[in-house]
Amino acid sequence: MSRPLSPRTALSPAALSALALLAGGCSLPGPYERPPPPPAAVPGVPSAESAPPPGSPAAGAAAESPPPPPAVREHHLSDATRSLVTQARAAAERGDLPAASTTLDRALRLEPTNPLVWIEMGRLRLAENDAHQAEGCGRKALALASGDRRAQSQAGRVLADALRAQQRNQEAREVESQPYMN
Amino acid sequence: MALSRSKRRRIVLVGGALALALVLGLVGWVVYLDRLVTREFKGRLWSVPARVYAEPLELYAGAPVSADELEEELRRLHYRPGDPATGPGLYRRRGAEFDLHARRVRFVDELREPERLTVRVAGEAVQSLRHPDGSELPLFRLDPLLVGSVFPVHGEDRIVLAPGDVTPLLRAAIKVIEDRRFDEHHGVDPKSILRALWANLRAGRVTQGGSTLTQQLVKNYFLSDEQTLGRKLTEAVMALRLEARFTKEEILVAYLNEVYLGQDGERAVHGFGLAAEYYFAKPLDELDVAELALLVGIVKGPSHYDPRLHADRARARRNLVLDELAGAKLIDAASAARAKAEPLGLRPPGGGYVPAYMDLVRRHLKRDYAEADLEAAGLSVYTTLDPRAQAAAERALARGLRRLDAQSRVKDAHLEGAVVIAEPNTGEVVAVAGGREVGADGFNRALDARRPIGSLVKPAIYLAALESGHYTAASLLDDSPVELKLGDGSLWAPQNFTHELYGPVPMARALAESMNLATVHLGLELGLPKVIDTLRELGVENPPAPNPSLLLGAFGLTPVEVTSLYAALANGGFRARLRAVRAVLDEHGTALRRFKVEVEAAAPPAAVYQLDRMLELVATRGTGRGASARLPAGTVLAAKTGTSSDTRDSWFAGFTGSYLGVVWVGYDDNRPTGLTGAAGALPIWADAIGSLRPASFEPAIPEQVEDRWIEFATGLETRPGCSPDAVAVALPRGAELPARAGCTPSPPGSITDKIRSWFRTGAP
Repeated sequence: MSRPLSPRTALSPAALSALALLAGGCSLPGPYERPPPPPAAVPGVPSAESAPPPGSPAAGAAAESPPPPPAVREHHLSDATRSLVTQARAAAERGDLPAASTTLDRALRLEPTNPLVWIEMGRLRLAENDAHQAEGCGRKALALASGDRRAQSQAGRVLADALRAQQRNQEAREVESQPYMN
Repeated sequence: MALSRSKRRRIVLVGGALALALVLGLVGWVVYLDRLVTREFKGRLWSVPARVYAEPLELYAGAPVSADELEEELRRLHYRPGDPATGPGLYRRRGAEFDLHARRVRFVDELREPERLTVRVAGEAVQSLRHPDGSELPLFRLDPLLVGSVFPVHGEDRIVLAPGDVTPLLRAAIKVIEDRRFDEHHGVDPKSILRALWANLRAGRVTQGGSTLTQQLVKNYFLSDEQTLGRKLTEAVMALRLEARFTKEEILVAYLNEVYLGQDGERAVHGFGLAAEYYFAKPLDELDVAELALLVGIVKGPSHYDPRLHADRARARRNLVLDELAGAKLIDAASAARAKAEPLGLRPPGGGYVPAYMDLVRRHLKRDYAEADLEAAGLSVYTTLDPRAQAAAERALARGLRRLDAQSRVKDAHLEGAVVIAEPNTGEVVAVAGGREVGADGFNRALDARRPIGSLVKPAIYLAALESGHYTAASLLDDSPVELKLGDGSLWAPQNFTHELYGPVPMARALAESMNLATVHLGLELGLPKVIDTLRELGVENPPAPNPSLLLGAFGLTPVEVTSLYAALANGGFRARLRAVRAVLDEHGTALRRFKVEVEAAAPPAAVYQLDRMLELVATRGTGRGASARLPAGTVLAAKTGTSSDTRDSWFAGFTGSYLGVVWVGYDDNRPTGLTGAAGALPIWADAIGSLRPASFEPAIPEQVEDRWIEFATGLETRPGCSPDAVAVALPRGAELPARAGCTPSPPGSITDKIRSWFRTGAP
């Protein structure tokens, strides 16, 4: 019954045009992809060795304890939330963005930690030309989507579009170059 | 001696002029009074307050609502048992199945027409929703509960009755008791004045009033208890003018909305609608005969007959009213006798009367809306109030403070407290309790008590450390003496609460056990400006001055501000602005300005995740460990205790997956309580949150971090079972740790699941 949403149906023309701007990019780390602490500067941890950069899982593997892979999970919407998302999309399609917004608010109350709802919210904010809030929703969705490739790539797309809409193209490209975006 | 003609003429002329002036003056006076009272009356009559609604209860398969709770909610919304086929507002319960005929309701986003459905509940959750034709509904929301009315501009809260809301019994009873000839007189009733005069003369003192309802109404408008002749005359003229201009019906309804019925702390309780909520937590049309008779009886002297202070007097007065009602054949003798045998039935805490929450609503309306927009008549304010959470917060606070008072050696003062509960992901405030008695003194501690937060500040310091990239949960801090010469030359030498020194301790343990010295060393190493930046980042609008004592929380925040600070920690580093108002609709159902969920990145999710895992240790191994035991088994929570200097303030802030709660306990006069955060605020938090079936705190793991096992005492890496005090922490992925000899770190796998199940079984 529950399956992830198709990314297309809810997109307003504004969001679609934002999507059309997508482009490939370089591989700088995103704002929160900070490298782990440099060894010399870790006062409390005796004999800590240089930690590897993120995204290179093998590098960090001490012989006896390779780090576990991130938990894989796939997010779905409950029937109740999905009916609200469908309703919100219908409202957005007939141009009633305020109604769509209130309906998604209601969906968020049902499933506040489901990244798929935040992705919808982000798309709606893009359609409303509220790139700042879209960015917040995109980042929130991305954080919640950890371990769910599909949700990550949808969240990343919302975030990249939101950044681009704010003329922050460099940051947008950084997001687009993340592994989960492929 | 006869006066000369001309002299006589002069006297007549002067006398005439004087008489004319007198008449003109009199007319002018009457016109003046007429204008005054008419303006007042119209102003009140037409100023329709905004109606304020709670969040509607959402029903869907899996919604955490038991059959009894559903019925309780239906009753609260004035649904009556009956045959739902006969009309909206009726329901029929068969075991755990409800047939319901929902009413026409205006929601923020739709106007829903009456609808029939069947709700099946299984145990603690809704199982299915169906239309009469058998088709399934994905979800359905009940009516939003009306929790009050507010004049958003001047802030009074009322429950204003429309003529249709006035029950026939109240209509008749108020006339029988207060003004039998209301339907005949023209505003003043000479007969009853004479009767009262006679009775007073015989008694030798004032025993009867003789004022009509209209006169009482006028008196209420201009709020004076003066008993002078001039005052009475003014009142009488105004009453006559009101009667000349308005219908009996308008005057009666205005009277019922205006009459003074008691004192709720600073707030005067005006009108039968609010009084029904204040005394009985019920809407007026649900009062039984005994309750209605009590309210009608109180009119004569709300403080003299205060049912909370003078129960016997109030009961005698109520029974007298019941006799009179029976005498006037408004009720039969049998039901009067039954009603006289009933207890007063005053409300327990909770219910639809939520003055502390309404304070927050008023402030958010002021903060977020244009005043001119709020002046429109007939607004509807939709709030994020959750009546069940509100009742839980009030109950837990009242109960907890009573227990703490009983244990305390202080006998000349009562402990006070405040509770704020919010939804962590959206910042929606679902409950506010501002003191031990609901609205007892008008001082809302949740919003206005700005008190030192003590150790509640520590997570901000540890977050700053994690964000710097130079520290992890396993980093060793130095818990050794601190002596600092301050700018003013004084010496600052803080101590641990236990007055012990712990030497090198891993950061996770220093936070869990709330060690002051280790934290001060860490904060000084990071630098005060860095810590202040982090506080600001987390939403503290007025961060403290850069004194070292800020590292131990020697600065004040209100419980609502603390909630805002912890919201970012409960929300994976995202700052969601706290809000109590979801939307305001005008009388046509159009939104004034719709709120959006506002969410903004405040702190790096990976650092916040590492911090949150440490805050989980507070609740399992540290100062907050009393909380887990009081929650449903297996509920994971993250929390922090706070105690200000000399135990003047006892704090607890904690979050599960579904609720963020902040509790403060202390004395209003700021004397020491002898209570730590764990002893005072924690049990109240656990009582409130524990009764709400909280979801476990299970944040998504950012890809840059991983869960690892370390020894709580040493910070050495280990595996469960190998060291007696192995705890799980989050570290940057791949960070290298020295390991306990002979304890090879546990192999990879779904370590998170293991950790969770381990906590659930309550191992070490």
